[in-house]
Parts: sequence; C-alpha cells; structure tokens
Amino acid sequence: MKKKVGLPRALLYYKFEPMWRTFFEELGAEVIVSPETTKTIKDLAVRYAPDEDCYSTKLYFGHAIYLKDKVDYFFIPRFGSDHEVNVGCPKFIGLAQVLDSLFPDFPEIIMPYYSQAKANHGKRRLLRIIFEIGLKFTYNPLKIIKAGIRAFKAQREYEEQLHISEQQLENWIKSQIFLNEKPNLKMRKKPLKLALVGHPYVLNDNLSNLDIRENLSQKGVDIITSLQMPRSTIEDQMEKLDFNLYFNYEREILGTIMYFLENNTIDGILQLAIFSCGPDSIALELASRYSRRQPETPLLQLVIDELSSEVGFSTRIEAFIDMIDRRN
Amino acid sequence: MPFTYPHFGSLTYVFEIVLRELGRTDIMLPKKPSKKTSELGSRYSPEFVCTPFKLTLGTFIEMLDLGADELGIGGGNMYCRFGLYWPVQKLILEDLGYDFKFFPIPIFDKPLNLVKSLQTASNNCTVWETIKAFRTTWIKTRYIELVDKLHFEYRALEIGKNQADRLAEEAHRKIVEIQGLGNLRRYGKKLPELFNKTIEIDKKKKKNALKIGVCGEIYVALEPTLNLDVHRKLNELGVITTNCVSFGMLIDFGRKINPFKTLPYQKARRVAKPYIGQRCGGEAQENIGDIILYKKKKWDGLVHLYPFTCMPEIITRSIAPQVSREYDMPFLSLVIDEHTGETGFQTRLEAFVDLLSRKKDKMLAS
Ligand code: SF4
Ligand code: SF4
Repeated sequence: MKKKVGLPRALLYYKFEPMWRTFFEELGAEVIVSPETTKTIKDLAVRYAPDEDCYSTKLYFGHAIYLKDKVDYFFIPRFGSDHEVNVGCPKFIGLAQVLDSLFPDFPEIIMPYYSQAKANHGKRRLLRIIFEIGLKFTYNPLKIIKAGIRAFKAQREYEEQLHISEQQLENWIKSQIFLNEKPNLKMRKKPLKLALVGHPYVLNDNLSNLDIRENLSQKGVDIITSLQMPRSTIEDQMEKLDFNLYFNYEREILGTIMYFLENNTIDGILQLAIFSCGPDSIALELASRYSRRQPETPLLQLVIDELSSEVGFSTRIEAFIDMIDRRN
Repeated sequence: MPFTYPHFGSLTYVFEIVLRELGRTDIMLPKKPSKKTSELGSRYSPEFVCTPFKLTLGTFIEMLDLGADELGIGGGNMYCRFGLYWPVQKLILEDLGYDFKFFPIPIFDKPLNLVKSLQTASNNCTVWETIKAFRTTWIKTRYIELVDKLHFEYRALEIGKNQADRLAEEAHRKIVEIQGLGNLRRYGKKLPELFNKTIEIDKKKKKNALKIGVCGEIYVALEPTLNLDVHRKLNELGVITTNCVSFGMLIDFGRKINPFKTLPYQKARRVAKPYIGQRCGGEAQENIGDIILYKKKKWDGLVHLYPFTCMPEIITRSIAPQVSREYDMPFLSLVIDEHTGETGFQTRLEAFVDLLSRKKDKMLAS
C-alpha cells in the first residue's frame, strides 16, 4: 500500500504544485489533492476557520478538513521565503501549527520550515528537509536525492512555462497571441484587453474569484494575469519605488499594475484582493494612489470575501467595461 | 524642521530620548491620540489595514497641522506590514497636500544599518556619537520600563487617588531629562524605594491581589488610547498588571550580546517552540511562550490584545487555547479596533477577573 500524502488545494499549493507533487510521487507516495473548491468545502471553511482570518486561509481550512480522513499525511510546509530579504505572508509560516493545534484529530502533518530571508536557510537546509521527509517513505538515499532533484526541475520548468518573456508580452499587447482563455468574439468585434491581478490562489480558484475568468472571456475580454508577467518587467518596476516592497507575492501584483498604468497599452486593470488580507491592504492602497496619479488606464479594485455574490461582482465588471467602451 | 513621531505608550519617552541624544532640539512631542485622531486616521486609511496604521496616520495629520514636517517611524523589511506603513502613509499625506519628509528607522535591520539611519535623523552626529546616543537610549529605556512596572503595581494597591499616575509621569520625565549615565543609574536604583515611600498602599490587598500580564501586538499592548487603557481598567479592579511585551529588550544590545544572560523574550521564544517553532512576525512566538513563563512565575492569567486583521497575532490567538489548557493558565484574547466599545471591553475584563479570583479562592481553600 502506498502511503497517501494530502495536499490541500489552497494558498501555496497554487504556487508550488509541480514541486510538491513530483517530490512525493518520486518517493513512491500517492499524492491526494483536494478537489477544486466546492460549495461544501467553502461551508467547512466558514464553519471551522477562525472568524477574523482572511478568506484564503479559511479556504485552506476547508480543504484540509475535507481531506483529513482520506490521507496518511498532510504536507503543509512552514514557508517563510525563498528570497534574500523578501518574505511571504506570516500566515504561510504559522498555518501548519495552527491546524495542528486546533485539530488534534488530523493525520501527521509534515511541516518543514524554510525561510531564506529571516532564518538564512539555504541549500544545506533544503537537503536536510528533503532527507527528513524522504526517510518517511523510503530508505533508499538515491531515490530521495533523485526525488529532490526532479521536484526542483519540475518546478523550474513550470515557472519557465508560466512566466512569459518580454517579447511575448509585446506580442500579446499587439494582439498577436492569446495567453489565456479565448475571448468570446460574438459579443464584440475587437476583444477588450485587461490585466487580471491578484494572488495565484485567487486567480486560479474559480469559486474564490467568483468565476471571473469565464465571466470575462464570455464578455469578450482578452486577459493577461499578473502571474504570467515577465519577471524582469516586475523587477524593473520595483526598482522605481523608494522603498522595498518586501512581500514577495505582492511584488508581481503591484509591478503589473504599475507597468500598465505607466505604459497605457491596454484597456484596463482589474485587481482582485482578499478582504482582511494584510499584504493586500497595502497593495490596494498603493495601487489606487498610483492610479490617481496616472489615471489614463482605468483600474477596478474588487475585494472578495465569503459573502461576495457573483451577481454583484458581475454588475461591477459590466459597469467597468461599459465605462471603457464609452471612453474608446 | 520640527520632528515628530507617533504616540506609543511610554515608548513615546524613549523616542524623545533618542532624538535628544542625537542632538535634535526641534522635537515636537506627539499629542496623545484622541477620538478625533482615530477618526481622522480612519477617514484616510485603507479600509482593512490594521488599526495601528490608522492611529499613527491620524497622529501625523494632527502634528503636520501643528507645524511638524519631519516624521519618524519604523521601517525596513519585516514579517508583517508594519515596515510598509510609511510608503503608504507618505502617498496619503502627499495627496492631502502636506509637505514633509519621512525618516523610516529600520528597527529590525542589522545594528550597523540601524545606526546609520539614526545618524541621518540626527543633528550632524558622527557614527560614534550616534552609537553612544543609541546606547544611552537603551539604558534609559530599562528605567522607563521599570517605572511602568512599578506604576501598574502601585496603581492597583494605592489608597489615595492618582498618586501612582503622578509619580510615574514625574519619574518618566526625570529619566528623559537626566544627564550622565552615573546619575541615571543612581536615580534608577532608587525608583522602587521612591514608589514605596511616596505611595501608601493597602497591604492586605497586596497579599491577595491577582496578577495579570498584558501581551499582544506591541502597539495595541502599549498604547493606552488604542487598548482603552487596559492597565488602568485592571488596576482599578485591584489587579496588578505588567507589560509582557517590551520594546526595550529588542533594542538593548547591551544585554543582548551578553552571553550569560537570556532575555525574557528569548526565553519565551524558546519555550514556545513546541507550539510555534519559528518566528512569524509580531509577538506571536513571545506571546505563546509567555503563557508558559508567566504560569511558572505564578501569575494568574494573561490578557492578549490584537488589532483586527493583524496577521501574526491571529496565529497566537489560534494556538493559545491549547497552550493555555495544557498549562492551566487562563488566557483572554481580545480583538481591538477603532470601533471597540468601552462597555463591552470592560465587561469582558471584569468577567475574566471574576473567573480568576474564583479560581484563586478555590486554590487557597484546598
Ligand atoms: S497574503 Fe493575504 S490572502 Fe494570502 S494568506 Fe496572507 S493574509 Fe491571507
Ligand atoms: S503586528 Fe499586526 S497590527 Fe502590528 S503592524 Fe503587523 S499586522 Fe499590523
């Protein structure tokens, strides 16, 4: 019998799926991922997660609870940062132990701690983590090393695929290529071009984002997401700030917005934020102040929580598109 | 160029000390935040940013209106959003039409960078002078915090009214003003005696008084305007209180580099390890550790305060119940924001104190 490792489909899963899945599969484990967020999972989330927590963390609770009886282990890394100074969200670090404390009936949680920025972790630490986890599944050191190498390779390949080049960005802006769902052109002759900006676990979780991607493509909108933006473009934008935006995942959000505000090459920007999210509270305000100073490309900010309704959401998006159409 | 900074409990004195030591003569002491400050701050703040942001922004607006134009605040890379307060506040204040300059001090950076940034805020100090100023500050801070400790004990027990308040304020001022480390040390040593001599206390009360530590996010834990003066409320119920969080310890490099000394916050982080194995910002790890440490010190309970949407402290809040159970240490977590009502807050505190005193009576009886 293969040992079953559970990955809740939420938060950092949306960032590191290829690495995690490859690693455990190479070790000979069976990887079980919770399904895309369903109504049931959301209900579990709202019922069991702390009230004041952000919606995305709540959803993590929902996914974990959904999986708990189906797996032998949970894999919930305590992930601080993979950058010299920049960090993730404190909640990524605390999550595993919070769940462990609140739900004593959970299966064993594998929770390696890794943080380059604050704890100065590097290759040695990674090696140790790989072995500590590997030994739970196999005593073959070669197999463990191989699993580690393949995991990182898979992640690298995934990211190379995901992040477009500056050239591709040019081409997309010139409407020579599509990067996402094809816009429905029955609605309009020329698709509208919007940047969709937000956390990976919001943009890729359709229940969480209230099906915005489908909604947009139905309305004839051609999108690029902040997740796809060329890393160099993001970093160039960050250089322009007079401070260091040290929330690593907020960099691509603000960088994308700044880039399009500055260049005016597309029709609009749609920023999705999570209510009561710490980093988003900062990014929202920065973005809205920047957009006030460079108002040419319109910016719509939508804040999501568990009570947001698809109808209200859709109405606001329609109004935004109408506004753009009137301007054009 | 009038220099100001946020009001921050008794740390307000600490910031005054460092600026004085850095040779600034144009310090504008921040006004104690009022209801109006909080409203002003909230009006111009992002909706769900944490409360300290709103209150500090409100203070800056009030002080800019009074003529300040240099603003000091913490900055640099951190775990939570605190280090990003100033870039956002800067844009907001610019849009409101103010002319000013921010001095973000990277309090968690390497000591050398910290010193360098203090130097830029100084009145032409050399690096050496800046280091000396910094050292004087951390030494004075020890006594500032000692006064707080005495204040929160004597206020709970005093027979007369407002004696402890008055004496604490006097002592704080004196520490700010005092020249020379020798004089400071002499004065500091006498502080316990000074309180003892000046304030008449109810001796019987002292024997049975409950002891409660106040922990949580540092700004809420220390700023009375935001925490609805939690220490006073508890003191008035006859409870001796103390601040579990201490800023002094973080900047006290004199003690930090002493290999023979483990500072309380380091101890707290260590004992917290089984529950929360690494730092994750705010005071999360220290707070968890304090549940254990204060139990060992035979304190009766902890009150934990955190701002709405605070990222690190929600971690504390979630893990604390388990630790509190395992160590049989009562722990009350209260979320605070600008809408927190006086009455509800008071009721929660009273209920907690009731619970503790019943627990204590039971223990004494058996
Ligand atoms: S970044 Fe925001 S949404 Fe993500 S876990 Fe942290 S607080 Fe929640
Ligand atoms: S510790 Fe909490 S309240 Fe304080 S700045 Fe950070 S997130 Fe805000």
